[in-house]
Amino acid sequence: MTVVPRRRVLKTVGLAGLAAILPAELLAACSSIAMPSHGTSPDTSFLVFDAHQAKVLEEATARLIPGPEDDPSEAGHPGAREANVTRYIDTMLGALRLSSPKIFAGGPFSARTGSHVDDMATFLQLTPAQANAWTQRLATLRSQYIRGVKALDEMAGGDFTKVTADERDAILAQDPGGFMTLLFGHAIEGMYAVPEYGGNTGLVGWSDIHFPGDRQPRGFTDAQVSFSDGPDVYVPNGIGQQLLKLLASSP
Amino acid sequence: MVLARAGWDVTIFEKGANYFTDLTADRPGTVFSNDELKMDRSFSRPDASSEPRVYRPSPQAPPITGAVQDLPQTVGGGTVHWDAKTPRFWDIDFKKLSMLGPIRGANIADWPFDYAEISPYYDQIEELIGVAGDVHLFPAEPTLAHAPRTRALPMPAGPPQYSSRLVAEGCSRVGLHPFIAPMAINSHDYQGRPACDNCGFCSGYGCPILARVGALAPLREALRAGAELRDRSMVVKIETNGRKATGLSWLDDQNNRHTETGDIVVLAANSIETVRLALLSGLPDPHDVAGRQLMFHWFSEGSGIFLDERLHNYRGRDHTHDIDDFADPDFPGARKAAKTAGLPYFRGGKVELGGTQHPLDEARSYQEVLRLLAPEKPFGADFKKLMRASILRDRLCGCELIGEDLPYATNRVDLDPTVRDWRGIPVARITYGPGPSEIAAQAFYLPWLVKLLKAAGADVAIAIPEIASSRFPIAQDQVPATEHVMGGMAMGTDARTSATDWQGRHHHLDNLFVADGSVFPSSGAHNPTLTIMATALRQATGWAGIS
Repeated sequence: MTVVPRRRVLKTVGLAGLAAILPAELLAACSSIAMPSHGTSPDTSFLVFDAHQAKVLEEATARLIPGPEDDPSEAGHPGAREANVTRYIDTMLGALRLSSPKIFAGGPFSARTGSHVDDMATFLQLTPAQANAWTQRLATLRSQYIRGVKALDEMAGGDFTKVTADERDAILAQDPGGFMTLLFGHAIEGMYAVPEYGGNTGLVGWSDIHFPGDRQPRGFTDAQVSFSDGPDVYVPNGIGQQLLKLLASSP
Repeated sequence: MVLARAGWDVTIFEKGANYFTDLTADRPGTVFSNDELKMDRSFSRPDASSEPRVYRPSPQAPPITGAVQDLPQTVGGGTVHWDAKTPRFWDIDFKKLSMLGPIRGANIADWPFDYAEISPYYDQIEELIGVAGDVHLFPAEPTLAHAPRTRALPMPAGPPQYSSRLVAEGCSRVGLHPFIAPMAINSHDYQGRPACDNCGFCSGYGCPILARVGALAPLREALRAGAELRDRSMVVKIETNGRKATGLSWLDDQNNRHTETGDIVVLAANSIETVRLALLSGLPDPHDVAGRQLMFHWFSEGSGIFLDERLHNYRGRDHTHDIDDFADPDFPGARKAAKTAGLPYFRGGKVELGGTQHPLDEARSYQEVLRLLAPEKPFGADFKKLMRASILRDRLCGCELIGEDLPYATNRVDLDPTVRDWRGIPVARITYGPGPSEIAAQAFYLPWLVKLLKAAGADVAIAIPEIASSRFPIAQDQVPATEHVMGGMAMGTDARTSATDWQGRHHHLDNLFVADGSVFPSSGAHNPTLTIMATALRQATGWAGIS
């Protein structure tokens, strides 16, 4: 699959857009981060990843949760790339370097369903017990990501982003050191969590699965709760049929 | 609330954070929200990296360190995460030994009071926290026969959930008795708090609008009567002198140690943390009863898949209907099945009809499933096809059996010899395994979950056992996470087999009381919170000398 031009466009636009919305504290934090680089200049648009690491992760997550440009069968269905999953992961790994750590979004409302204020955009301070837990957790995760990206590159003969989509799939399927499983778990969060955490950009994750997301303070009417929306028949597909067969054969 | 109103000088210590502003206001602010990731990240629960627990299925089994029954640790406690189902326990729960008889190996006991004695306190709590429901629609058998009602609930039931209605119809078709469950969720404005707006982020989430108030209701009353709340303050030791508790030591969240004296001390940190504190304090325990008879309900899950429509279970109150049939020891066939298993009787429990999961959990389900179904490429377009078909969320309707768990002396909480929390304090170690009663009851009732879902029209129905045992290898090595936690400081009249008396008073410390689920001598077969609150209210009324 040759999607390089499209990717490059997305990437440029994405980074420019990100820089425009970065708060000053985040930019300040970026300059003080020391991460191994691959001989390229550090990409200050990310909190913890250098440009190559970010690119590897973008390409890897696009195999895990593909979008229209990544898999022909996903035409019209945005994936990890469109949801900005890499930015979500970077935000999580660098969360404690922000003055309001981006671990717990605020509340009670976003501005999506009836509130004028996005409370979720203001992140909450951690308790010392939480800060202790997340300091340990994120330190471990950061080293897992460094090792994981390195492993993907090595298995690709030097640069994961330079091999074909089929080869990337084959590498990921080997789950080196459990990194694919870890990355997939985080890609899921970046795809379907509230967008304040940095992913699910444009709510593409929710719209693809007909999930309305957070609903306060509007909620739903009693009729929407109590009655059928009408028929919506499942259209059989290969993997769905396999799942149903598996469920039906459970003891 | 009772003590503060009676003029006592009350200080409340809470280890977790306070996610509310001005709890004395009519409508307090909160930072709880419709955010699945936030709750996944243990926002209101103990984070196992800082505050782990240890679990082992038996004393011989290798211990597992991590999250074990990690109920919320925050102002509001377990009623922050609950979806506020408020059934009452039955007459046979309070007088189990007298009415049902002993079971070998379990400490079947009567409570020091019966249903009639606690009934007025149930009424008061239902009024206080605002329970909605229509008692005249509860089934005469078995529900009202075992938990009779003398008056209406303060609010009518809210809107029924579509998926709950479907499964309720299935239950009726196979001769069961579904009804809209009582729940402490506002169906209209109540005491200054708004009606539920059906946002759908209910079970497992703090309510963003306080349509569901729970234990905050009495806390708010206590604060209005002058009580002081200290959150992020962990009590680490009860100080004693002879038969008196003289006060306590506590740590602020910078680990600075403080002390407080008091005329009475009340422990209410749930079975696991209350026992941990009792053991950390070295409270007198000559008969080695503290922490024993720990009980968890076992939740066996049925799942029905409906392929012709989406069930939109992301709206509304998690689920709205229940059946009580399986909580009845005389359910058709149950006595015979018990006898076959060598038991005089057994019970399942209530079944909650309806409910599903949110997208992050759904996606993780497919992540697991794909490892089985497509090991050569367990990701990619297949994953997204599953998310869009939503077989395990929008087309899924669950039902959950909340099974009675018997009190066994071998199921217990003690202190782990090596694992410490982030402050360096020994953590709770839970040793827990099911007995013959739980295993036999689950085996009997699991097929029923499939049967009632099929009768509801499910295209595919499965039932997944919860109890770890050799009979159910699928559940092996599973750490219990049912979040109904009882026992450990049981009430009773005999200090050789119980830790507290009918008032929750410690048998060896005259002014130390326990007021949480740890005082339960039996677990019942229904959600425990209403009974925890009613029992605490009855106890506190006695302490305040105003009974």
